[in-house]
Parts: sequence; structure tokens; C-alpha cells
Amino acid sequence: MNISTWSNRLLDTMVKADRAGAADLVAQVLANGLPSNRVLAEVLDPALVRVGQLWEQEQASLAQTFVAAKIAEDVLLRCLPEAGEASSHPPKGRVVIGNIEDDFHSLGRRIVASFLQAAGWEVHDLGNDVVAELFVDKAIEINAAVVGASAMTHTTALNIRKLRTVIDARGLAGQIKLAVGGAVFNWRPDLVAEVGGDGTAHNAAAADALCARLQAETVRNAGSQATKEPTR
Amino acid sequence: MNAYERVMHTLQGLPADRVPVFAVLGAYGGKLTGTHLRTLYRDAAAYVAGQEAVQEAFGFDLVLAPFDYSALAEAFGGEAAFFDDQPPNVKRPAANSAAEACALSLPDPERTGRLPFIVEATRRLAGLYTGRVPVFAAVPGPAAFPSLLMGLDAWMETLLFNEVHAQALLELTGSFFVRWSNALLAAGATGLIVTEGMAAAEVSPRGLFAERLRPHLQAMCSQLRGPWVFHHTGGRVNQVLDLLPGLPNLVGVAVSSKDDLAEARRLIGPELLLIGNLDNLSYPAATAQQIREWSRACLEVAAPAGRFVLANSGGDIPLTTPPENLRAMIEASVAYAGRNREGA
Repeated sequence: MNISTWSNRLLDTMVKADRAGAADLVAQVLANGLPSNRVLAEVLDPALVRVGQLWEQEQASLAQTFVAAKIAEDVLLRCLPEAGEASSHPPKGRVVIGNIEDDFHSLGRRIVASFLQAAGWEVHDLGNDVVAELFVDKAIEINAAVVGASAMTHTTALNIRKLRTVIDARGLAGQIKLAVGGAVFNWRPDLVAEVGGDGTAHNAAAADALCARLQAETVRNAGSQATKEPTR
Repeated sequence: MNAYERVMHTLQGLPADRVPVFAVLGAYGGKLTGTHLRTLYRDAAAYVAGQEAVQEAFGFDLVLAPFDYSALAEAFGGEAAFFDDQPPNVKRPAANSAAEACALSLPDPERTGRLPFIVEATRRLAGLYTGRVPVFAAVPGPAAFPSLLMGLDAWMETLLFNEVHAQALLELTGSFFVRWSNALLAAGATGLIVTEGMAAAEVSPRGLFAERLRPHLQAMCSQLRGPWVFHHTGGRVNQVLDLLPGLPNLVGVAVSSKDDLAEARRLIGPELLLIGNLDNLSYPAATAQQIREWSRACLEVAAPAGRFVLANSGGDIPLTTPPENLRAMIEASVAYAGRNREGA
């Protein structure tokens, strides 16, 4: 069986909420000799991306995405220790995530955390009702290039403006990028700019590409800053 | 024709002077009376005064009892968070796991926490508006109810991966759903708005709703002592609408702004009230003219088949919404009726 077939079968377990079936499948793949790091990159990751696409096409529900995240966590637990030994790749980067102040809808954020971890990011999850200063303090502490703020409702989404203000006031706009997400941004894409977000992902699988893009922007900013330094 | 007659005629498929219009304006009442939402959602007199102010300012065709599920979460042992600009929300659920949730005691609608406030506000509103304006009370759907005890993520995990605990929780919360709903009906609510979030396409696949959740909804709603309206809770529900006709005591269906009204009518058949579906989030920034146009578009699609109520789609309308945007909904209904009379 080729790798894409394994990945399609894993996707099928996600859509059918068959967590046990997913575990059996991954055990079979490993027993067939595929190394853990390739299971993550070539079996799990494409399946998660496909779940994201199905969500985008309004063909997948939160329940199915949730199952996909749980299966991703299971596969990570099963494969990460061996994959870590087999690979010298460091994490793609560090991301700080949380629900913004006054927002207590954690499900989407948790799914995003699982998807990001599966994609190779080091995720620091601050939980619900996180004040703007805490996001920024944590990002500075762990040297994260991206903070992700989640909000479910229009009212709480507007609290993300405080986070934008804190990032800008501390002169960190070039070093810390603000990703925003949550149901309300899918309904009102114009809200991303209104709250000062640097970008959003319409589904959990797309969060990987968003964080990569935002992190790359900070690297470019750092490069251009370094180039300017000698002329000062 | 007053609002009560208008709604009752519409419900029965009889001619009415115009299409009834409704907007969720619980917190907006506090804005009109200058009452902090911390007080509005604790004090029956303050809440009722807010709804009187809403009625006086706009004259909508339904009045809403306190729409505050954080009070239910609180009554089970959770914690509510209060805000300046939106209704309270659940800050911390009572339980961290399904096992903990299964061990919780059921609250008493007449005694526990802020539940008596909701019952009393419903009673006062019913007394105030009997025969003039229908009073509806919102209750969380029986399939979504366990999420108030343990959070949506824990409930989702239980529902999907722990059938024994899921069933136990549905039974526990189901019995309270029936008791709570009937307490609000006994307090004088004309009907209930049952917000069943687990039915939305964004939340559950159709199969999960059809096979596991609808049977529970059917069993619980057969015990209600009054009519109820199925509400989408913000998500697309056209995927399950054909499964709703025939549910006990069901008189109407409220659909989201992303659902197609014509398709919704086709799916629910001619007998049920169809309610919807202006986008909640657009209210603050839209002009009154835009609201009129969007309202007219809804009316042109859904009113000809009858049994239609024009309404916002979602929870409380944001407090930053200008009053003229709310009046624009009723103006659109009046204008639509006028055009029809001229046409006839």
C-alpha cells in the first residue's frame, strides 16, 4: 500500500470519528516499516490538511475536526519520541496562543494547538480569558515570533485590539506577529484588519502556513533591521 | 391587530396585517435604561424595565425573557463572567470531566443561584404583556446542555468517545432541561426558543445529529408543556431541517443567516413557522437603508409562503447597533405589507 493510500485511510477514520481505527492504522503503518517521522509528515500531515480543506468547503464539522485533532494528538504521542530520535529537525518555531480577554470558548483554540503541534510547532497555550500583556510577556519570554488570539464573538474579538496596542506600544510590531482566529473571523473576514491582526487562518490546518508566513515576516524584518544597523 | 394577534395569526397560517418582526435585545434593554448588565441579569425588575424600554422604543412582536445560559452553568456550580457590553458568559464550568459532571446535583429552578431571577422576570413579563405581545424564553437544547456543565470540548470528547458517560449526562441534563423549560412555561412564557447548537453543520455531522441527538431531542421535547421553536445557535442548520417536522410540540424553526430561506421552507414544509435570518454581526456597521434592503430581501423570499417571522439571526444584537437599524426591520415589514395591499 502506498503512503497516500495510508493517509487517505487515516482521513477516513477522522471523518468517521474512528479514533481506535486510526490507532490501528498507524500501528500497521509503523509495522510496515515506515519511520515515525515519515508517518507524521506523509501520512498524518496530508490527512490534517485535507480535513482543513473539507472544513473550508463546509463539508466537515467541528466534531470531525475535533476528532482529527484528537487523532493527531494520539499519533504524535505514538510517533514523536521515535521521530525525534530519527530527525535532527528543531521545531518550526514557537507560537503563543490563547483566547483573548473575556473569551471562554476554548474548543477551536485547542484544535488549532493540536494541528500546530502535529505540523512541528512548539505551542504555548495560555488558555482562556488571557489579557493582552500576558500574550506579549510570554512571547518575549520564549522568543516566539507569533501570538495567536482566538475569539468566538464579535464583542470579544474587539478585545484583540488591546493586544495590537500592546505589541505596537512596546515597539514589537516587527518581531511579534499577531494571528487571529475563531468563528467570528470566518463570518466577518474584515474583522481581521479591524482588530489589527496580521493574518488569520480559516481552519486549523491552515494555521501552520499562517504561522510560517508570519514568522518569515519577522525574520525578514530582523534582516532588514540588521542591514540598517551599520548605517546608524 | 396587536403583536400577539399578529404572531398567533401567522403561527396558524391565517392572514395578518404584516409579517411579525423580532430581534434579540435582552442586553439592549440595559443600554436603553442605563442599567449595568451585572444588574440587568440579576434583578427581575431591572430586566423587565429594559424590555419595556425596548418595546416602547421599537415595538417588536415578541418579548424575550432573560437569555443568559451562564445562570444555568452557575446553578450547576460553574462561574459566570459579567461584561459591560455583552450578556454574561460561562467563565468556568462546574466540572472538568464527564465523571465529575455526572456527579453534579440538579439545581432547583425556584431556589438555586440566579435561576429564580429568570423565572421571576418571565413571570413579570408574562403578566405585563398577556394578550398583547408573546413572551418567549430561550433554553439550551438538550443535546448541547451538557456543554454548560463541562465545556464544549469536554462534552464533544465525551459524546464522541465515551458512550456510557455521554448517555448518563444526556439523561441528567435532559431531566433538568424538561424541568427548567416547564418552569418557564408555568411562569407564563408563551413558548420556548430551544437553541440546539449541536445541530449546526459547523458543529456536528448530520449523521451524529440524526442517529444520536435527534432521538434525545424528541424524547425531551415530548415532555414539554408548551410550544417550542428550534433555533440554530449561530450555525447553518439546513442540513438537519428535514429531520425536524414531527418533533413533539415544535411550532417553528429559526435558521442562520447562512441558511437559504427558500430551501429552509422547502425542508421544513408548510406547517412550521420559519424565522430569520438577518446577519447579527452586520447590525452595528450597516446603515438603516441596508437593513431595510436586507429585510426586504428576506421578506420577498419567505413571506409569500406565509408563517414567516423576520428576525435577526443569532444571539443578542451588539449594543453598538444604532436604534434606527432596529426600526428599519419593522419599517421593512410595514412597507412590504403596504406594497402587497397595493398589488392586491
